[in-house]
Amino acid sequence: MGRIRAAFEDFGAQILFAGEALAWVVRPPFRLDQLLQQAAAIGVGSTFIVAVTGLFAGMVLALQGNYAMRQFGAEGYVGGFVAISLVRELGPVFTALMVTGRSGSAITTELGTMRVTEQIDAMESMAVNPVHYLVVPRVVAATLMMPVLSVVFTATGYLGGYLIGVHVSQIPPGPFLEHTKAMLDVHDMMHGLSKALIFGAVVSLIATYRGYGAFGGARGVGEATTRAVVWSSVAILVFDYLLTFISIG
Amino acid sequence: MALISVNGLWKAFGDKEVLRGIEFEIPEGTTFVVLGASGSGKTVLLKHVIGLLKPDRGSVIVDGTDISTLSGRELTEARRVFGMVFQGAALFDSMTVFENVAFPVRERERRIDHGALRDRVVESLRVVDLGDDVLDLWPSQLSGGMRKRVALARALVANPRIVLYDEPTTGLDPITTNSVDSMILQAKQRRGVTSMVISHDIASAFRVADRLAVLYDGRIAAQGTPEEVRRSDDPYVQRFLSLWFEKQ
Repeated sequence: MGRIRAAFEDFGAQILFAGEALAWVVRPPFRLDQLLQQAAAIGVGSTFIVAVTGLFAGMVLALQGNYAMRQFGAEGYVGGFVAISLVRELGPVFTALMVTGRSGSAITTELGTMRVTEQIDAMESMAVNPVHYLVVPRVVAATLMMPVLSVVFTATGYLGGYLIGVHVSQIPPGPFLEHTKAMLDVHDMMHGLSKALIFGAVVSLIATYRGYGAFGGARGVGEATTRAVVWSSVAILVFDYLLTFISIG
Repeated sequence: MALISVNGLWKAFGDKEVLRGIEFEIPEGTTFVVLGASGSGKTVLLKHVIGLLKPDRGSVIVDGTDISTLSGRELTEARRVFGMVFQGAALFDSMTVFENVAFPVRERERRIDHGALRDRVVESLRVVDLGDDVLDLWPSQLSGGMRKRVALARALVANPRIVLYDEPTTGLDPITTNSVDSMILQAKQRRGVTSMVISHDIASAFRVADRLAVLYDGRIAAQGTPEEVRRSDDPYVQRFLSLWFEKQ
């Protein structure tokens, strides 16, 4: 019972922390330099790894799609299948998981180290709100950069799918591209981008919450980072289901 | 009139009572030292004075305002009279020495030009006997003593009325300890700041204190001028001080 109660208290504290962080987003001063620094760390820093994973995800999708669809003589639909899968699901979900592993863990470790070495207390003692200074730029940057990275993942994924589908599986390029155009619409793209936006906020709020509340020295920071990665990954999949359900019920 | 007044302060973490009815006053322009063994609640007490912790009971009056009842923007405003030197210096390790010392000024005077800011930083470093050759160093490149000096420069740069020191001499060699004590005295003499020092270093405490309190088991076992505390008949205070005085 004690553990269940502690879990609920922890969840409640996470919600309150998210509320506090979001309330500070709209309050001045707006630290543009901090925001750009974080956007570079989260966005630019993750571009390569997101592009590489996107490329291979698209290549695998084309192979699997071709394997399944050739049984019905529908190989031409592989392009549409790859595009829909990437835009609506794999783009936002894989990107969020990659950002969690790369940037989410780094955010938790950085804030956790600042907490246990009293740097956050020092900031407060200097009349600077640490949520405003440290948390807000990271949350805003992650929320804005996640859709951008998701587009990178999707674009490189489609490129990988095209290369494998057309050049390895010998699907004619005409049907590959035509079915992509026919099957994909703006609604799908908005669905994928809004997912990425929400995942960006969720992942960064979990990572900052875990780091901000870290205690117990280096071991505590390590535990906080593990929890941040695990709970962010779980939250991504839960939110993915909920958003998909809302979208297509 | 007292600039800081702590009245009937109680604080418990779970079942453990850390502070049990703490009372003291610090007049403006004086240095007040709280002495105590490790784990006696000194740091917890200091964090109440600057509002980093909230008491279960009691009040902390700073310049006429009960800081323990404030939160949010009011608390942030109230903290502007403080500078604080943390036990481990707590320098921001992602910033250079210049950026660390400039931080409180930049946050308060956002339109200050770089030249004026640099002058303020260099002046503050000069108070702690550091030159402008350290401006571009990172905290990881500094010795323990230098980190404490930079931390004090950062605490003084925004001209606070009150400076709080958490174990300023812990882990330092005798020469650096002596120099940190001199810095505390100079901050009082040159800037007229009111200081509260938390320490278990008896020699250092007697060197810098105008008034002293000995904290034991969550209560103040004795307080007064260094001489009054030295003559206290409290058995714990006698035991705590005796080893050091015997050495002298």
